Amino acid sequence: MSETKAKTQGQVVQTTGHAWDGDLQEFNNPLPTWWLWAFYATVVFAVVYWIFYPAWPVGGTFTKGVMNTITFTDSDGSQKTTHWNTRSLLLKELQEGKHAARSREYTEKVAGASYQEILADPEMMEFTRSMAKGVFGDNCAACHGAGGTGVVGLFPNLADDAWLWGGSVEEIETTLREGRYGFMPAFKSALTDRQLDDVASYVLSLSGEAVDADAATRGEKIFQTSEGGCYYCHTSSGTGLKSQGAANLTDQIWTVADVSGAATPEDRKAAVKRVISNGVDRRMPAWSERLSDAQIKLLTVYVHELGGGQ
Amino acid sequence: MAQAGIRSTEQYNYDIVRKFTIMALVWGLLGMTAGVYIASELAWPFLNFDIPEITFGRLRPVHTTLVIFGFGGSALFATSYYVVQRTCQTRLYSDWMATFTFWGWQAAVALGALSYMFGYTQGREYAEFEWPIDLLIAVTWVVYFLLYVQTLRRRSQPHIYVANWFYVAFILATAILHIFNNLAVPVGLFSLKSYSLFSGVQDAMTQWWYGHNAVGFFLTAAFLGMMYYFVPKQAGRPVYSYRLSIVHFWALSFLYMWVGGHHLHWTALPDWTSTLAATFSIMLLLPSWGGMINGIMTLSGAWDKLRTDPIMLFLITSLSFYGMSTFEGPLMSLKSVNALSHYTDWTVGHVHSGALGWVAMVSFGSFYHLIPRLYDTRIYSTRLIYVHFWLATIGILLYITSMWVAGIFQGLMLRSFDDYGNLAYTFVETVAFLHQPYAVRAVGGMFFVAGVVVMAWNVIKTVRRASSEAAELEARIAAKMAGA
Repeated sequence: MSETKAKTQGQVVQTTGHAWDGDLQEFNNPLPTWWLWAFYATVVFAVVYWIFYPAWPVGGTFTKGVMNTITFTDSDGSQKTTHWNTRSLLLKELQEGKHAARSREYTEKVAGASYQEILADPEMMEFTRSMAKGVFGDNCAACHGAGGTGVVGLFPNLADDAWLWGGSVEEIETTLREGRYGFMPAFKSALTDRQLDDVASYVLSLSGEAVDADAATRGEKIFQTSEGGCYYCHTSSGTGLKSQGAANLTDQIWTVADVSGAATPEDRKAAVKRVISNGVDRRMPAWSERLSDAQIKLLTVYVHELGGGQ
Repeated sequence: MAQAGIRSTEQYNYDIVRKFTIMALVWGLLGMTAGVYIASELAWPFLNFDIPEITFGRLRPVHTTLVIFGFGGSALFATSYYVVQRTCQTRLYSDWMATFTFWGWQAAVALGALSYMFGYTQGREYAEFEWPIDLLIAVTWVVYFLLYVQTLRRRSQPHIYVANWFYVAFILATAILHIFNNLAVPVGLFSLKSYSLFSGVQDAMTQWWYGHNAVGFFLTAAFLGMMYYFVPKQAGRPVYSYRLSIVHFWALSFLYMWVGGHHLHWTALPDWTSTLAATFSIMLLLPSWGGMINGIMTLSGAWDKLRTDPIMLFLITSLSFYGMSTFEGPLMSLKSVNALSHYTDWTVGHVHSGALGWVAMVSFGSFYHLIPRLYDTRIYSTRLIYVHFWLATIGILLYITSMWVAGIFQGLMLRSFDDYGNLAYTFVETVAFLHQPYAVRAVGGMFFVAGVVVMAWNVIKTVRRASSEAAELEARIAAKMAGA
């Protein structure tokens, strides 16, 4: 036990007289004054906080805090006045906050307008882009991509001007509300490998791809007769039935077979053949339960504009 | 004051300290490398490779478990066993109990990490261990507690040194937290799946009562214990204020238990609980700083040591980061700040300024002091300690600043409105923004891991030198005996 004295901060301070492990000692310095007062200040802060906000549990209830009432309109339309609480604060903010009020004002205007009126009004269109961008981004972009360009083979591209289920605002609204079920049977057991090759050649020829003419002729026979029955949905001219969501095969837009991404004629044929062999089975969910009428309306206009509309 | 004639390497049980020290470095290296990998997965998602075992969701708890419990836990076992023996001047109460805690703890960490990769988790942050591992931890921990208290009771010193108060508080609090948060009903005797005894917001509150006190007692109080031994020891100076150590110890222990609710602001948690958590967090600021003041002021009058002693540099820098993150914490616990920071990477940056800046740096400094003494030799290279220090410091700064940018900007983007009162950004746009800060963060992590690699090399060379020195000594004695 040594009674060492040492200089700290210009004054002589004694150690407590304890010593451990040879040289471990402690000075007997007082608490730093600034530290102590800062600590008291935080205690005062806490006490003041407790006075004004809900803080301490007492029996089955809790102290509500003073001078902190919130008045807001509840979901049943009645005016409610309550002590400060985060839920009421949120409801009040949604009703009276300047952003919420502004957005609501426009939403109501759009909700009451017809599609023609919205499309013709630059200000309503601006608002639609502003709000629907968020609705699209949070609900649709996960599949269709942030720009609506989709993924070939999985999710249709909404930004081109090909519309599987129709591109009028009414048709787009139906698609959004009810969802869509895109189905084409798999032909790998109905047709032979050679026949599949032939049909693929014919399909490619419809949009002007250079293919083996004999194969395309053989394919045409399968396509246009009950042997393949392709014309039931894709029609004899190959432009596709909108009611079935059947693709137009005569344009150069490919939504399922990755023809654009294929490098050689063989690869292009293989891409189309894969789709014919395996069929198509893809669904878009119905959104009428998850989005409000106004949101669906805004989205309809937004999607319509993405692809140029019809 | 070691008894003359007996080397302290024999008087005390150093073997257990060596084992835990080496394992701390092994887990540290593995855990921090896992951290760099998952940070890279966030910046460059292809690194998930669609292999379930190594996707971010599974590797993340592997990372936290290896660094907190593997690295941090082993470092605490090592230093607490060293400190309690040195400051009580007595050998550990029982060697087999010490060995039991070693194997129990290593098995828990290893099994935990493997089970997460294969998808077995309780889904409770920092308490992901499923029930059989929880039981193993509980038994190990009770043995640790008994061993520690029995050793304290055998002390040949009238007073218990301050470092030991912190270690005991840590051991006791961790036992309580671990047991209550893991009360769960297994689905079956041979099933790894279990369900919590609590539900809804009570379950969340229990989890964060545990979660924040894991930070408070495991990552703060215990490492303050480490600081209270190694800082004055390395500085060769008395602790600045005995009184401050008492006051801040009790204030810290009392206040920490209240603050877990600040992880659940703006949720189903009652508002009054939120208020208490926020205000107690504010009151916790100065008690937390008490440890920093006591550590840094211990060096008062000997500041020149910072120029010549890289170990001191590690220790003092760790205290600075400790001070910074314990200021940031109360700030973030305020509801209005939390509304911005919560669910963003600001939280992640905050945790790492504490974990890398404080926990890891104070452990590195302490190990550089400890390891040569454990092996009765000198450190292989002082220059490499400097290299490690700068790699670690640059890594931390890159990490923290990139996460501030990521968190604060994402928070601001999520709450910005356009002229029509609509949200200006979609969520996915904020995610796209995060790419760059994520890349910088991954690079910061790489710096930090590089520092640990340098340390591992330095330690290996030090231990090798110790054994060759011992062999040399033996050869010389043998030669002398033969000559005589």
